[in-house]
Amino acid sequence: MGRFVLRRLLASIPALFLVSLITFGLLWLVPGDPASIFLDTSATAEELARVRRELGLDRPFLIRMGEWYLRLLQGDLGTSLLLNRSVTSAIFERLPVTLSLTALAFFFAVLIGVAAGVVAAVRHGKAADQGMMTLALLGLSIPEFWLGLVLIWSVAVLLPIFPAGDYVAFAKDPWQWARHIALPTFTLACVQMGFVARMARSSMLEVLGQDFVRTARAKGLPEPYVVLRHGLVNAMVPIVTVMGIMVGGLLGGAVVIEQVFSIPGMGRLIIGAVLSRDFPVIQGGLLFLALIYLGVNLLVDLLYAVIDPRVRLE
Amino acid sequence: MKKTYLTLAMSALLLLTGGGPAHAQKKGGDVVIAMTAAPPSLDPHATSAQVARNVNLHMFETLYARDENARPVPDLATGVTVSPDGLTYVFNLRQGVKFHNGKDMTSADVVASLERYRKAGASPALVAAISSVAASGPNQVTIKLKSVQSTFLGNLSSPRAPIAIMPSEEAAKDMGKADPIGTGPFRFVEFKPDSHVKIARFDGYKPNPAYKERDGFAGAKVVYLDSVTFRFMPEAGARDAALQTGQVQINETTDGPTAKRLRGNPNLQVIPVLPWAAMILKFNMAQGIGADLNFRRAVAQSLNLEEIMAVAYADIYRLDTSWVFAGSAYHTGRTTPKQDLVAAKASLAKSAYKGEKVTFIVHNDRPTVDTATVIQQQLAQIGVTVDLKVADWPTTSKIGLGSDEGWNLWTHGFGIEPYEGPASSMSHWVKGQGQRKADPMIDSIFDRFNSEMIVNAQQRLFTDFEKQMNDQVIAVNMGNFGLFQVATTKLKNFKPYRIPRMWGVWLD
Repeated sequence: MGRFVLRRLLASIPALFLVSLITFGLLWLVPGDPASIFLDTSATAEELARVRRELGLDRPFLIRMGEWYLRLLQGDLGTSLLLNRSVTSAIFERLPVTLSLTALAFFFAVLIGVAAGVVAAVRHGKAADQGMMTLALLGLSIPEFWLGLVLIWSVAVLLPIFPAGDYVAFAKDPWQWARHIALPTFTLACVQMGFVARMARSSMLEVLGQDFVRTARAKGLPEPYVVLRHGLVNAMVPIVTVMGIMVGGLLGGAVVIEQVFSIPGMGRLIIGAVLSRDFPVIQGGLLFLALIYLGVNLLVDLLYAVIDPRVRLE
Repeated sequence: MKKTYLTLAMSALLLLTGGGPAHAQKKGGDVVIAMTAAPPSLDPHATSAQVARNVNLHMFETLYARDENARPVPDLATGVTVSPDGLTYVFNLRQGVKFHNGKDMTSADVVASLERYRKAGASPALVAAISSVAASGPNQVTIKLKSVQSTFLGNLSSPRAPIAIMPSEEAAKDMGKADPIGTGPFRFVEFKPDSHVKIARFDGYKPNPAYKERDGFAGAKVVYLDSVTFRFMPEAGARDAALQTGQVQINETTDGPTAKRLRGNPNLQVIPVLPWAAMILKFNMAQGIGADLNFRRAVAQSLNLEEIMAVAYADIYRLDTSWVFAGSAYHTGRTTPKQDLVAAKASLAKSAYKGEKVTFIVHNDRPTVDTATVIQQQLAQIGVTVDLKVADWPTTSKIGLGSDEGWNLWTHGFGIEPYEGPASSMSHWVKGQGQRKADPMIDSIFDRFNSEMIVNAQQRLFTDFEKQMNDQVIAVNMGNFGLFQVATTKLKNFKPYRIPRMWGVWLD
């Protein structure tokens, strides 16, 4: 297993390099000047030139790119043009916020999604199945930003149960943290819940129709035991694959959700950086998200071996 | 006798109602202001962005500042003595002014701050006339100019990218790196770049004894609140929701329909701020069809300004096409030009326009895009084809300010300049900065204005400037637009200004 992990880690280096290269390419192609963020709408060309000089943006793009890679080799992601701090510290300040949001959404999406999928498979063709799958389709179809705004309007403004946005750190006040993160978590989890439920249902249907399940039932094993021990465990491999893909969806969704709920996380950091063309933050932030995504997929590959002993990592 | 009874009745009424705000002030409380974006920097010299002004001008002060009517008045200085030749300005500083780090402000700090601004400040034109800055005493600073500049105090007091006074050790730092330590009535607490900036009442602050009341960016700045948090909420719906749930107490800006809806909420006060900015259409006179006067004239004649402003700013606009705001001594009360399609077609026929697409750049702010769209429709009536290029602000400004290529028309707001006055408004068009090709007459008027010390003569020059802008159609001023601010009714004595001032206000 050690060799497998090492090989995967080494293989992620070219992937990360490719991500950084594509980001650089996009930044080079996309027009826009970060210096303009420092200026009023009626600024003059002279003022823009002065700010560009102060920010070091008057130097050729390729030289700046070369310098960035040199610093990266030393573990330095550079300094933000706007935040007055290193990109690494900007990321680490926001990472706990995004991780807590995505981890909670992930947990609820998997828990509720798998449960709904199992119930739908067991009650195949019945009202429960149709109801669950309609809800799953609804979850998949509703845009996250719309759902977020509707929830703010209904259970924050009309019925003031939850706060309308913002974030409170868990360490500062656990109760307020839970209140503030509830709506964003639910919104973010909704789409993924539908995705997992549909996948769990089809995977369970396939497994429940197999001979070994019929044998288990014929042996007189209790139905919950058959469904969970024989059915669900064997249906988990495709579900785990979906869970790996989900992380990408959750990280992407967090960008939107953080914007709607005014949560200062990684997504908002990157959106802000894109809108203001804060190149070092865009580079560093995307590289970091790619790293998380690769890490999660490595974890998923390791989980295959845990779930299914037939899978050999070497 | 009748008059005496009336006076007594009025006095009784005043007593019953508490006699006005002076008796109701309460100390304490935290106000949260929802802002559309985060300030790009808390270094006041580094940025002219409005969102930065909103925060920085609570923490920093200038030698002179603008009063309620945008006139320069002493703030950190007690006054100024100008030499007979108009080249030397001697400022005496207020004594006992403390920075937020506890240090007394001295002339060394003022000199260091001004020198820093001269080296790399975000609005270099403000200090371009200075030849030297020196401390002529512990509480006195002498500034020498290269040539007479009647607008010098106006420049020194500009809130645009304020020439703020900071401790000399902070002024020694690179641009954008100075810590937010000023002399203002609020001190810095924390800045979480995509969340909020928090400032708190500076208990070492002594309001300027020369004033009795709040007056623009100057005056007696008395702080009742404990702290103010500027929360960055780019999503308009989230700002409104946070205001209605009491999570924020002021929404810096909301649109007309939302303001209309919130007027029915007894817990909120909707505050129109008009004028906020002028909406302008400018031409790229350096290349292409924008260089052709007949074409520019055709565009100006084809515009129905009333229709444009009514569509883009339905509930909050004023058809005022002067290049300074009403209330200024220089306001000319120009009549609004009327749409004349016949004249426009005749001008177009005389121009070099051959039906090619005219590139119109605009940034993706909703009312600005609406403005451009209506202009596009109106130009179509005379046969001008417009290619509307909508992009975000960094892209649009890069095209518009970066080179002579890539655009013919550009529309955007023009706010701080008409507020500041004629010199600021004119300076945008000097040396072709706004229109990318110098107009010798505009440059000459500006030079004469700068060296003219008599107000009447300045007013005549400014009228000449407006006439030249109109005759040469360097840009079209389409009118003033405003914005709606919404606050909780618990916030008392709030008066809208160029920033949401948090001195002189309190929570009930």
